[in-house]
Amino acid sequence: MTITLSVAVLLAIVLIFLLSDDPGRTIYYFFAGPFINRYYLGNLLNSAIPLVFAGLGIAVAFSSSAFNLGGEGQVYAGALVTAAVCLALPDTNGFIGGIAAVLAGVITGAVLAGISGYFKMKWNTDLLISSFLISAAVVLIVNFLITGPLDDPASSLLATPKIAEQYRLLRIFKPSKLNISIVFSIVAAIAVYTFMYHTHRGYEMRICGLNPDFARYGGVNVNTYLVLPMILSGALHGLGGGLAVTGTHYMALKEFTFGVGWNGIAVALIAKNHPLGVIPAALFFAYLDAGAKAAMLHSDVTFEIAAIIQSVIFYLVTAQAIFSFVKYRQRVS
Amino acid sequence: MPSVDMREICKYYPESGVKANDYVDLSVKKTEIHAIVGENGAGKTTLMNILYGLERADSGRICLDGEEVVIRNPRDAVRLGIGMVHQHFKLIRPFTIAENVTLAMEQRKYGVLLDRREAWKATEKVIADFGFDLDPGAKIADLTAGQMQQVEIVKILYRHADVLILDEPTSVLAEQQIRTLFDTLKNLTCLGKTIIIISHKLDEVMSIADRVTVMRKGKSTAVRNTDEVDDKELSRLMIGKGITYGFKRDASVPGEPVLALYNVSVAERTGHRPLLDNVSFSVRAGEIVGLTGVAGNGLEELEEVVNGLRKVDSGRIEHRGLDVTNASSYFLREQGMAYVPSDRLRRGSSLSSSVLENLIITSRRSFLNRGFFRRKAMEKFGREILKHYSIDTDLYVPMGTLSGGSIQKIILSRELSAQSDFIMFSDPTWGLDVASAEYIYSRILECRRSRAAILLISNDLDEVLGLSDRLMVMHRGKVVGVFENDGTLSKETIGEYILGLRNDFKGDAGNDGQATMGRGDGNGGGIDDNVVGGGSSRDCSDLSPE
Amino acid sequence: MNVIHNAVAIMAPFLLAAIGGLFTELTGMLNIALEGLMLIGAFASVVFASATGSLFLGVALGIISSVLVAYLFAFVSLRLKANIFISGLATNLLASGLTVVLAFKLFGSKGVIHFPGAPVLPLVSVPALERIPILGDLFFGHNILVYLGWICLVLAAVVIYKTPFGLRIRATGHDSSTVESLGLNPQSYQLKAILVSGFTCGAAGSMLTLNLQAFVPNITAGRGWIALVVIYLGNKTPLGILIASFVFGFAISISNYAQGFMEIPADFILAFPYIITVVAMIGYSAVRHYRSQKLAMRRDR
Repeated sequence: MTITLSVAVLLAIVLIFLLSDDPGRTIYYFFAGPFINRYYLGNLLNSAIPLVFAGLGIAVAFSSSAFNLGGEGQVYAGALVTAAVCLALPDTNGFIGGIAAVLAGVITGAVLAGISGYFKMKWNTDLLISSFLISAAVVLIVNFLITGPLDDPASSLLATPKIAEQYRLLRIFKPSKLNISIVFSIVAAIAVYTFMYHTHRGYEMRICGLNPDFARYGGVNVNTYLVLPMILSGALHGLGGGLAVTGTHYMALKEFTFGVGWNGIAVALIAKNHPLGVIPAALFFAYLDAGAKAAMLHSDVTFEIAAIIQSVIFYLVTAQAIFSFVKYRQRVS
Repeated sequence: MPSVDMREICKYYPESGVKANDYVDLSVKKTEIHAIVGENGAGKTTLMNILYGLERADSGRICLDGEEVVIRNPRDAVRLGIGMVHQHFKLIRPFTIAENVTLAMEQRKYGVLLDRREAWKATEKVIADFGFDLDPGAKIADLTAGQMQQVEIVKILYRHADVLILDEPTSVLAEQQIRTLFDTLKNLTCLGKTIIIISHKLDEVMSIADRVTVMRKGKSTAVRNTDEVDDKELSRLMIGKGITYGFKRDASVPGEPVLALYNVSVAERTGHRPLLDNVSFSVRAGEIVGLTGVAGNGLEELEEVVNGLRKVDSGRIEHRGLDVTNASSYFLREQGMAYVPSDRLRRGSSLSSSVLENLIITSRRSFLNRGFFRRKAMEKFGREILKHYSIDTDLYVPMGTLSGGSIQKIILSRELSAQSDFIMFSDPTWGLDVASAEYIYSRILECRRSRAAILLISNDLDEVLGLSDRLMVMHRGKVVGVFENDGTLSKETIGEYILGLRNDFKGDAGNDGQATMGRGDGNGGGIDDNVVGGGSSRDCSDLSPE
Repeated sequence: MNVIHNAVAIMAPFLLAAIGGLFTELTGMLNIALEGLMLIGAFASVVFASATGSLFLGVALGIISSVLVAYLFAFVSLRLKANIFISGLATNLLASGLTVVLAFKLFGSKGVIHFPGAPVLPLVSVPALERIPILGDLFFGHNILVYLGWICLVLAAVVIYKTPFGLRIRATGHDSSTVESLGLNPQSYQLKAILVSGFTCGAAGSMLTLNLQAFVPNITAGRGWIALVVIYLGNKTPLGILIASFVFGFAISISNYAQGFMEIPADFILAFPYIITVVAMIGYSAVRHYRSQKLAMRRDR
């Protein structure tokens, strides 16, 4: 992991030297930029929140050998459903309505991922491909809903109308968008950790993923655990999406969660599927994004250098993560 | 001058610590059929993989027709005229016979295009030259196992191989197909081919091979002409002399039956022969019942049936009088049935999990407090086990980083700590060094002293003979011999039962349980009884769990 | 019949990308990097075409760039044994990042970059034949890269079914251990297949930008994924791919046409192939499941 991170930092410096006319300034803003004011720092922390949820979702799934590659659609659909429920209940009590809305998002994510898990259990349908395809279709359908039936005609944005005031989560680091959902993300990481490492169900779920033969030998009902990790994974993704609406954007914009699902995979891989490791991994990814954004605003490089660095991290972590995948390959072949 | 001459071949697998080949010699004459026999794990397939270039020897020499050669990969082997038919066919099912035969040595036209007609013709020519009956245009998926094997041989002959290696060629064939195969092989030697055949079926070896090399535990132990040796001697050579272990079984009076099987049968999914055929026996408190046989004769299935990992099709299993037929593994464990599996790396442990997580798999629920694990109690439990069984490791070390012996000790300690009244051990010392094996034997005997009922399934005859109070042999899914192990039973006798040369219950199996269990005149079917050598193949009726 | 004519133009990039993807699919690899490889080809070809003023050099260098990235993808997947799905994702991410970063560096813009100086893709125009209904729309009046697609399709069919290379590619996908036991190296065929997919994706990408004489960030817009779906729907045969990509092209063309007088959201049309594929996949696994169950039951008797 140290190698991966140092390569990432080194690559950032090399890229900046290649691309920038004022490398000193760019490097300063890339690495220190996210800390120069409250606004940047808060937004850095805030943009890590959905990554934590997506990373947790992937960690739960991967550590149980469930291959959820539909995170992108689950986050996005979770966000839309949350926004839609909020919009449908303009006058409900903020607490009750808010919970109902986010819960609806959670259920949406869980169902989307659960479909793949169910068919995997029932007919051995390939989890990887089915979860991806469902997600790809869902992204397009949500695009349609946001730009079509749910579009706010009063706004020029491709977005739903804003949700009512009472549903908006408390901002805790003004003027940035950082809100109390960061607490929820930390709680979620601890809860997932506790479930996976301190309850017998979590233990059984992980053992099923690591070695189903051993689980069966130990009297674990392996079939149950083919669906459960997918449902949990989808639920966490949906939660991430829902909180992005109520905490950050107050509406569902077209493709506003773009890339969260994929980056969640990288985050989980960096964290080696450990729920608590997901938090620093997500912060690191968010930091790369925030650094690139700051460098873009204050110097002459573009934000997308973050994508290049992230892709190289992707390459490196999977090459390192050989062992966790060998089993999957064997099962497939 | 020998056609194939392998000298002092060594191959060591560091991951498992197994010396698969330990200074093995093999000398095969031109145009002979040479058999390599040995028990499972004797190193036969490794030796042939080395000859075919699928694996590389650590040291040793290979000479072909007197000339030393280096075989780095199958391509080298093919170039040198060596071909191999693997136990599991290497055929592309949707392709035609001609496509499979010519694959990697395709017939071409205009330099770049496949020439189907030529491929068809060339295949047809090999088929005709060597007297096969195959249609080059037929799809592999439509063929029988016997035909697929013929395609494999045609494939080799198309590559102009002079030396043909066949790994367990009869394992997938029916009786009639075996005859056809043997005729083919004899015919091939007449046409100048040399054949090496791996087998552990002695009757087949005797009927087909000219000479036999015997392998045991990674070493080549003997070479014999088949017309100068009988199958009994071969079985003796394969199985070897007994090893004396440094332990003593003290007398024990068995108590009431703990586990009993009545006419348990399991059908095979793909074939005609049942995997388990009316198996009945019981294991009593304070005794060790040994069960042995060659792999593929029902031991694995029995192991799974007794642990609830495989469903039985008919018959009944009782634990202390309670019907536990087809009960779940979890239920069986709750009933006090422990199990040390033969596949300790896949079934017995989770290598990427910690030692502690491996230790708690069977007792996990006992650590729950309002749904959460009591971490402290769990660690205390783990530490106590490690201490009690003097296992020198830490609770949070990943299991996969430990040696084979330590892994087995951890599995054993986990199973024994459950205080079960029935324990099944399957190949408990396979691949372990002597010290670890001794340790495990002492633990098994300790269980016997504490009046547990013990079922010991093992391919290692020394082990079974050394530990068991009673001994059963399985062949083709049936119990073919039951013996009281009173110290006079010889390995040779057991060996003959194991290899299917003798069967005490021939013809009776499948009628009813009584017949399977209760052939009073035990010693079987016309083979000279004195060979039994005092080991009384006894009246089994009192073994019947009634 | 403008709809058919447009359908052929729309399907051409899917078709080309799917042909390359077919090779990787046949060697048993799920190649999701098609999208990224296309994007690289799209960017490089228009940049080089504009810089050199030569259409041929533009397309060739676009293809070479895409092949180079394909090689990186192959290296990580085959040599470093990274999970091919994840390394494919990484390749897509790399492509979208790299193209925007380079565009920004070279042209100072992250939006649409016009290359008015880039050579125009010539149309193959045969006015007399174009007027034949349907056939004329299908075969004439398209740009030359569309014809490259047709040629590649025929070539692919020949290579896959009529050459030793194709036989070995297919054998590798069915059972790589068999190929290995014959003394061949299955990985080398997988590598070649990935490079082929780099080639066709490069060509597919160049079609997108050279048509517009402009580069738009993420101009591929999911066409690589659709190509993947086309391979599945086309049952992994060249003819099937042709039909499946035409169906797609036609559907999109119709919806573009219908947009004029009624609302059919384009996103719905785009979602349709994914839905069809996942339903087909689940159905297929159900059939497979019950068939093997029935077989097992029959054997038990």
